[in-house]
Amino acid sequence: MTDQYPPWEPPSAGTETEHLLGSLDRLRATFRWKASDLDAAGLRHRMPSSSLTVGGLLKHLAAQEDYASAVKVAGGRMPTVWGDDGWNGDDDWEFTTGAQDPPEELYAVYDAAVDRSRAVIGAAIADRGLDGASGVTLDDGTRASVRRILFDLLEEYGRHTGHVDLVREAVDGRTGEDPPADWRP
Amino acid sequence: MTTDTSPEPTTPTGPLAVGSEIETLIGGLERNRRTFAWKCGGLGPEEMRRTLGPGSMTLGGLLKHLALVEDEYFTRQLTGAPSLSPPFDLVDFDADPDWEWRTAADDSPEELTALWESCVARSRVNVAAVYAEGGPDARSGLAWSDGEPPTLRRLVVDLIEEYARHTGHADLIRESVDGLVGEGLPS
Repeated sequence: MTDQYPPWEPPSAGTETEHLLGSLDRLRATFRWKASDLDAAGLRHRMPSSSLTVGGLLKHLAAQEDYASAVKVAGGRMPTVWGDDGWNGDDDWEFTTGAQDPPEELYAVYDAAVDRSRAVIGAAIADRGLDGASGVTLDDGTRASVRRILFDLLEEYGRHTGHVDLVREAVDGRTGEDPPADWRP
Repeated sequence: MTTDTSPEPTTPTGPLAVGSEIETLIGGLERNRRTFAWKCGGLGPEEMRRTLGPGSMTLGGLLKHLALVEDEYFTRQLTGAPSLSPPFDLVDFDADPDWEWRTAADDSPEELTALWESCVARSRVNVAAVYAEGGPDARSGLAWSDGEPPTLRRLVVDLIEEYARHTGHADLIRESVDGLVGEGLPS
């Protein structure tokens, strides 16, 4: 690696763990950049054909970070921040309420979830590696590997980053594949 | 490393729940390809050319772009082929960087799908061959600008990200075309 690459760029020839976590962090940086610098109206903006908003995506990915790490990887429960937050059992709850919450709260909820998720996933890999068992038990009683859960999260992030690409472009015209090299989350 | 030498295994719903690295990489990539093809499939020429909001992206353009990306990653870079495959080999991408997006509007849905499928088929053969030779740490045939040839692992993980992100684009464009939504193919 040389310093011509920004810090979120994965290695060109790293270990499996470095690549998985590196790709996840690159997507986090890209998603966060596409979601950044918006006021309440920007975070709530919708395209005519879709109900997705940048605010809803921020809150959904915050929940997915905690769900993938605390519940699926570690086999525990959702952090109490979600339990206290009035979830009503509706699958679209994060999307709906994320389109109403104040900007500073949405950004804080997302950033805190990413910090927690990095710590839980890092600890799980240090403890039992990517081949180690996750908290997800299949019908036949076997446990899905930590690797599988991380791949699912990577895809989930990539897909929602595609969503935020188009929603953000509709808000104020921001486009681009990667954040500017000097941008920092 | 495992003793598995086949980079093809997938399950209908995605990568194996307890798979080796290569099984999970390829299973993830194949799941993305299936979802992407579903989102871009079954439409007529006019629908393939529709844009959404202020953007210029179309479903036809996405198909042709991912055909190019497959060829760039798994043929030109991975195997170090001297040039891209037809029809991309005759294009001056420096002069016309959006060529595939622009010209997709001139192609029929059948042509676009056939091009993408042929690139995917070539990718599968190349990935299997390079994996059999050197596993996930095998170096690609072409160095990046920092002088380092990336590993097969890096290229596959990049492609999974690329597909997932563009499938996200396809999600919203397709929803605006005919209302089709959903995370994965109906079983």
